[in-house]
Amino acid sequence: MKIPRLNNAWKYAWIGYTAARSELTYRAANVSRILFLATVLFVFMRLWSVVYAGLGTEQLGGLTQTQMLWYLVATESILMSMGRLWYEVDQDVRTGALAVQLVRPLSYAGTHFGRSMGERTVRFTINIAVGSVIAMLLTGPIAFSISGLAMFILVLPMAFVLDFLGALLVGLCAFWLESTQGIALIYSRLMMLLGGLLLPLDVYPESVQPFLRALPFAAILHAPGRMLVSPSASLFFQCLALQAVCLAVYGAGAFALHTYALRRLFVNGG
Amino acid sequence: MNRGVEIRDLRKEFALARWQGLRRRLSQVTAVDGITLDVPAGQSVAFIGPNGAGKSTTIKILTGILHPSSGHVTVLGLTPWVERRKLAQHIGAVFGQRSQLWYHLPPADTFELIARIYSLERDAYRQTRDALVDRFELGPFMDTPVRKLSLGQRMRAEVAASLLHRPKVLFLDEPTIGLDAVARQELRDLVREWNSREGATIFLTSHDAGDIEHVAARVVVINHGRVIVDGPVTEVRRRYVSTRIVRAQFHEPPRQVDVPGSVMRSQSAYEWVMEIDVSVTPVQEAIALLLQAAPIADISVEDPPLERVITRIYKEHAS
Repeated sequence: MKIPRLNNAWKYAWIGYTAARSELTYRAANVSRILFLATVLFVFMRLWSVVYAGLGTEQLGGLTQTQMLWYLVATESILMSMGRLWYEVDQDVRTGALAVQLVRPLSYAGTHFGRSMGERTVRFTINIAVGSVIAMLLTGPIAFSISGLAMFILVLPMAFVLDFLGALLVGLCAFWLESTQGIALIYSRLMMLLGGLLLPLDVYPESVQPFLRALPFAAILHAPGRMLVSPSASLFFQCLALQAVCLAVYGAGAFALHTYALRRLFVNGG
Repeated sequence: MNRGVEIRDLRKEFALARWQGLRRRLSQVTAVDGITLDVPAGQSVAFIGPNGAGKSTTIKILTGILHPSSGHVTVLGLTPWVERRKLAQHIGAVFGQRSQLWYHLPPADTFELIARIYSLERDAYRQTRDALVDRFELGPFMDTPVRKLSLGQRMRAEVAASLLHRPKVLFLDEPTIGLDAVARQELRDLVREWNSREGATIFLTSHDAGDIEHVAARVVVINHGRVIVDGPVTEVRRRYVSTRIVRAQFHEPPRQVDVPGSVMRSQSAYEWVMEIDVSVTPVQEAIALLLQAAPIADISVEDPPLERVITRIYKEHAS
């Protein structure tokens, strides 16, 4: 007996598997991403050395210099694994490819979700592996624990889902905007600045920290990053709670926009 | 039961917004204006028309992507925009300018994915895949990344991929665009063979008269959202162009003869190719006149190219 929902999930899982296989063939893209990551890590290792020495302190925002570099490995690995989903959705809307995809017994958003997760898994695995080797060579290891790593791995899927929904929302704006490039640029810069890509939010002024910690950007970058370098059960549950709230908000937004966009497509042809 | 396609008084209007200064004005544009059509199961139909005639809109309605303003449509007994996903399970589509194959992976990987998307039984899938690989001669490049294939190989794989779930209705949109003459002819033969073997209904849109001629038995021409011509390809050709191409080969160099209503298309020492208006000079009279030119070794009478028929139809209805 076939279980329809399980059967549907299997379709999207296979799309993810195919996307992962395809991603592995982009050798030049993978190599250039690794080189970029190595450069960023090297520059920031030098920068943090100067900052820590200049301030004459062992810790900044509760992190040692080694932890700071490992935090960057985690956040950069997450950010650089995203790809350009918003652009693909934008192009699907603009060129009419979205309509063509609907000829198949698949959900449009579900297809992109499977694809995005497959590609991202490969990119993130390469990024974090290479980033870890570089960090190990530059500053040495940090104290890892199995429970800490487990918590880091557990918050990652939700971070990826949130990031996917954000990119989908940006891409679907193509139904109303001449170009989504501007909004995508703003979104990515907000992610970098407010999500704590280069600096953990603990280094920001205390007055803005509660606000920044409540944003979805923190649930995507800062929280997983902290989980890798200084895991704790309280941080883990805070992170999961934030991710759950953000998922509800982003999910409702993406569902509403996706439904409205498809209705518009069904009525107006895009 | 395979019930083909039924379209009754189909209309689709779009609201077009225009800004005049700060004021937004809405106007109605009629893309499909009362199309009524029956396509029996297993028939191959060329659905043609100039750009903006309403072809794409109609096809989008038939595949469930677009909701009509009014009218009644059933494809395989299903209302497309109500039961889109159910219908999608039984229809296939090939878009010449959009690939469904994964660019960096071999066709074999896309085939596997399609088997999962359509939830095909493994044995049935393997059987169909092997038959398609064999017939479409995909074997030598099934494990080669798509980016390394020629356009002809890629299009063969594209069409085969669309047939894996054995669709009962196949939509082909410019399937031979960009292909060379040999690859184009191969693809047409394969589609025609699939149509006769599987009994699938084929809906072809193409600007290439050769596609229509070789694949379709019936041609439906639409313009301004309405059906302006509908009939068997051979009949439409004869109805719209009253000329025939007469190719005569002589035993000796022919003398000049006057065939009223004719135009010489090409001429060599022993062969004439003439286009004769049969409403001025019937074919029998034309042959009799040619016999006066020289003893005839061989003669053939052909219909004019479909390309010209289509141009004539467009021009006639534009005026």
